[in-house]
Amino acid sequence: MQAAVKGLFHWMPFLFGIGFIAPLIAQIMVRWDLPVPLGLSPIVFGLLIGAPWGLITVLRGRWL
Amino acid sequence: MSEADPILMRAQVTEPGLVPAGDAPALPLGEEGLDRHTRRDLLKEEMAIAKQFQGGTMWPYAVAAFGCFAVWLSFFPLAIAGQLNLALAFVLSCVFAVGGYVTSHEAMHSNIGRPGEKTRWLNEAVGAVSTIPIVFPFSMARIMHLEHHYHCNDPVKDPDYSDEAPNALMAWYKTWYNRQPGVDGSIHHYKRILAEMGTPEAARALKETMVLQLVFMAVLFAMAWSGYAIEAALIWWLPRHIALSYIRFYLSWAPHHPREGKTGRYEQANFFKSRLGHVMSMAMETHLIHHLYPGIPNHRTRAAYFALKPILEKRGVDCSAL
Repeated sequence: MQAAVKGLFHWMPFLFGIGFIAPLIAQIMVRWDLPVPLGLSPIVFGLLIGAPWGLITVLRGRWL
Repeated sequence: MSEADPILMRAQVTEPGLVPAGDAPALPLGEEGLDRHTRRDLLKEEMAIAKQFQGGTMWPYAVAAFGCFAVWLSFFPLAIAGQLNLALAFVLSCVFAVGGYVTSHEAMHSNIGRPGEKTRWLNEAVGAVSTIPIVFPFSMARIMHLEHHYHCNDPVKDPDYSDEAPNALMAWYKTWYNRQPGVDGSIHHYKRILAEMGTPEAARALKETMVLQLVFMAVLFAMAWSGYAIEAALIWWLPRHIALSYIRFYLSWAPHHPREGKTGRYEQANFFKSRLGHVMSMAMETHLIHHLYPGIPNHRTRAAYFALKPILEKRGVDCSAL
């Protein structure tokens, strides 16, 4: 149980990228009518930013 | 007196930096240059004055804690119902998140109700709700804050030592840097200290921290994927980050900088003039008063400072800022 929770927190930035940053980016683009590049849907664009950003954060230990 | 005089043979008298060995007083002097009788008299006087400011009316802290928490909670359904001014809710959420630490801080020191008193439940309830907006459970907050008091400015034992920075700009940066997932600062540092403590209270605090963090993430994820990511960001996510930085800067860095070597009773914190004033700096301009007498509630530390100022000056404490 403890190891599972530890693992969950280790991967939390990646989950946060998918679970929060991606929809946040998508909804900001829709709310302010921002053009989505390459004809992607806002949520796909959000996931393309949020997921790698979260993954990099897991590896680097820093969001920026 | 001859060199063989037993008084002069005392280590304290001839210790470098205190008094010239050749013109030594009969009694050992402390760091303030006062003999122990004077220091004892000053301490008695200091304690008598401080006693006048301890306790007092504490129910406004409880009203503020429960009122702000209830209003903040109401923001969630109101946001989902589209009945909320998000800009106003964002500002208020930041204020509630910062202010919540002040009310919980009183509870950490049992100033609302001591163990055995009939208001003890209120003390614990105020503490429990106050720090939810910053996702910092009261159990952890209390243990870590009391450790900070016990070991103030000790580079190893003070849990807040990681907030130290050479200047204000770097201090603001560090409030953010210490929260990064791979950095051993802020709540990560606290978690490590609790794990090392190994007491039942520490284990409980760790468990509650984990639960609260998971609830926080679950709420953010659920709201975001239900189409309310901006609302979640403005009511909880951003206010939490802003509040944590503000709290770390004003409650930890500003009153304790510079920390190095400042472990003595009268040097653990400074008196300073805040650019944002007394209220906006959460009464931290007179934080040393809180370290000397944690039983003096936050709203009375300024008055206590002015009453204690003449004695503190005799002690050699720098009171020039206020």
